[in-house]
Amino acid sequence: MNLTNNPQLLDRLAGSYALGTLRGGARRRFEALARERPAVRMAVLTWQTRLASLNELQPAVVPSPNVWRRIDNQLSAEREARALQLARLAPDRAASGAGPGWLRHLGLWRGAAAAGAVATLLAVVGAVQLRAQLGAEIAGLQARLLAMPQIEYVAVLADDKSAASVLVTFDPKSRQLTLQRIGAFQEAGDKSLQLWALTPAGGVRSLGVLGTDRLLKLTAAEAEVRGAPALAISLEPKGGVPGAGGPTGPVLFKGELIQKQL
Amino acid sequence: MTSASNDAELVHWLDRVGVQDYAALKLLYDSCSPRLYGLAVRIVSNRDWAEDVLQEAFMTIWRSAETYRASLSPPMAWMGMVVRSRALDFLRRRSAERSHLTQPIDDEMADTHADDNPGPMDMALASEQAWALHQCLGKLEHRQREVVSLAYLRDLSHGDLAAQLQLPLGTVKTWIRRGLDQLRVCMARFA
Repeated sequence: MNLTNNPQLLDRLAGSYALGTLRGGARRRFEALARERPAVRMAVLTWQTRLASLNELQPAVVPSPNVWRRIDNQLSAEREARALQLARLAPDRAASGAGPGWLRHLGLWRGAAAAGAVATLLAVVGAVQLRAQLGAEIAGLQARLLAMPQIEYVAVLADDKSAASVLVTFDPKSRQLTLQRIGAFQEAGDKSLQLWALTPAGGVRSLGVLGTDRLLKLTAAEAEVRGAPALAISLEPKGGVPGAGGPTGPVLFKGELIQKQL
Repeated sequence: MTSASNDAELVHWLDRVGVQDYAALKLLYDSCSPRLYGLAVRIVSNRDWAEDVLQEAFMTIWRSAETYRASLSPPMAWMGMVVRSRALDFLRRRSAERSHLTQPIDDEMADTHADDNPGPMDMALASEQAWALHQCLGKLEHRQREVVSLAYLRDLSHGDLAAQLQLPLGTVKTWIRRGLDQLRVCMARFA
């Protein structure tokens, strides 16, 4: 088949190739020919460019504002994950308060929070001269502090393409694991996602089965989470793995568990 | 009908996104998302799925905008390629995960014959090349245009097309061949 002498046939084949309707053996033969002959490659490129314009000709539809919110969430999660990795790489600098920008911001924030607390106390002192009342205020502040979540562990679980998919935080005081889905993944109706902690000894321990909400809470004791080098999420039958075994389905997301040093 | 100034603006934003400028990504999203979402909806035929595709596509744009210039493509053409390839990935993943038996096709999508004309669409962001194709597609008979468009957008074989559009295989083959022939003649005038 001498295609270069038959421009019309060459063009027709290049068109079907670019359109995607040239399949099977004919497609492979055409590809082999294209590798040999620049004229064939050029014809393909011309058609690919023409047809790619079909992408621009579809009727516009305004997407729901949720899509940008999700993109925004995913971008912030990736930024945080990167910052946490930096923090982990340079814990000494972080401790001395001379870390990268993000850490300095945190340092500032903590300073501001401390200053705020001092100001509150001073205000309390100024306004309430009576010792007993001051005691009551301090007790109240303490109670409020206790009620504030203290996130000590963070993990960003990523899929096999390293795209951040689930953000996990753990507050040992309230024994609360919080999971935020940030990727687009949604399991099928007959499946559940199950969260696992890897144990330092190399085993796994189930931390619970995820519901379908984007934001989820699970209860866990600190002993179950502390020391785990990583967390992982696997795809399991609806309701999770029955019994006490390890994951039975594929691991979809995983990530290092980081204990905050700040 | 010129899109040169729009293109220049989009290229500028893509350059900024290439150096991880978050504000530029938002500008790009605000100006291009309806067109790109429309494309995703057309390929995956379901608005929720198309939202996932749009999200993935913008994350891809965020990560690979620095390679945009090397593609030598008009900006909408490049972003359209990103959306189409994410959409086709999505469909492949989905068909691998489960059967299509209960696939919810949105009403307006099932009726692919609704847009009988390419119509005086909003071409403000489209490239010159797209405008030429728009003119040439307008000269095809509606069903021929539809078969050619779907073959490309959804990456369907002759057999898939015949099944989806409930047409005889021979008819699909003939329409595609004639459609491509007519496009070739017509597009050559814009080259």
